[in-house]
Amino acid sequence: MKSVHLIALLACTFAANAFAASATDASNKPIDIKVLAVPCEACHGKDGNAIADQYPRLAGQYHDYLAQALREYRSGDRQNPIMGGFAKPLSDAEIDALSRYFAAMPSKLHDLSHDEQGD
Amino acid sequence: MPRIVTYRRIVFAGAMLCAMWLGCASAFAADQSKGDPQAGRSLVYTCGGCHGVTGYYNAYPNYHVPRIGGQNYQYIVDALTEYKKGERSHPTMRAQGRSLSIQEIHDIAAYLSSLRK
Repeated sequence: MKSVHLIALLACTFAANAFAASATDASNKPIDIKVLAVPCEACHGKDGNAIADQYPRLAGQYHDYLAQALREYRSGDRQNPIMGGFAKPLSDAEIDALSRYFAAMPSKLHDLSHDEQGD
Repeated sequence: MPRIVTYRRIVFAGAMLCAMWLGCASAFAADQSKGDPQAGRSLVYTCGGCHGVTGYYNAYPNYHVPRIGGQNYQYIVDALTEYKKGERSHPTMRAQGRSLSIQEIHDIAAYLSSLRK
């Protein structure tokens, strides 16, 4: 299990470096969301529903919550070795674009409705 | 050949014991790694105060309280555990995390991840 994590971390670090290179000149270029979202999709899935249980579903989550999470990862307020590496190079505009992109996907998430609030 | 028979019996008994031990070990592991959704159902009453109100906002900073119904099991376990340990910063969620046992966290995750739209 440890080695799986290590491999995932290495893969993501490599992807994060490639990502950082593409994000640095984003300020004077229009955001290509399909390209920007590629590293996210490696774990969170192309449909935003995550490839494994330890990764959250993003599809249909509130866009401002996703943006808040990315800003916290970027500032280091929320610590995660993988997400920290991805979020560091993102601009505010890129965070907003990514959050809206995943929030707009067909969702399996929902607010707890009245019949789900316990006994 | 009574000796061989006895030896075979011992080997057989040993193999059976190993199988039983493995069976128990995996059953135990399953109990430990997955929570009880029924126990979780009564625990999520508190969560509904914020996560059960569609469109409810977190204040300062302002953002929607996330949707957690249908979220993935292990992610919920990790998130609540991080709040419990003080590794995530939200004050209300830290207090919630501290009030929960590890078993209760697993139970909540089992219930929330079982919910379908």
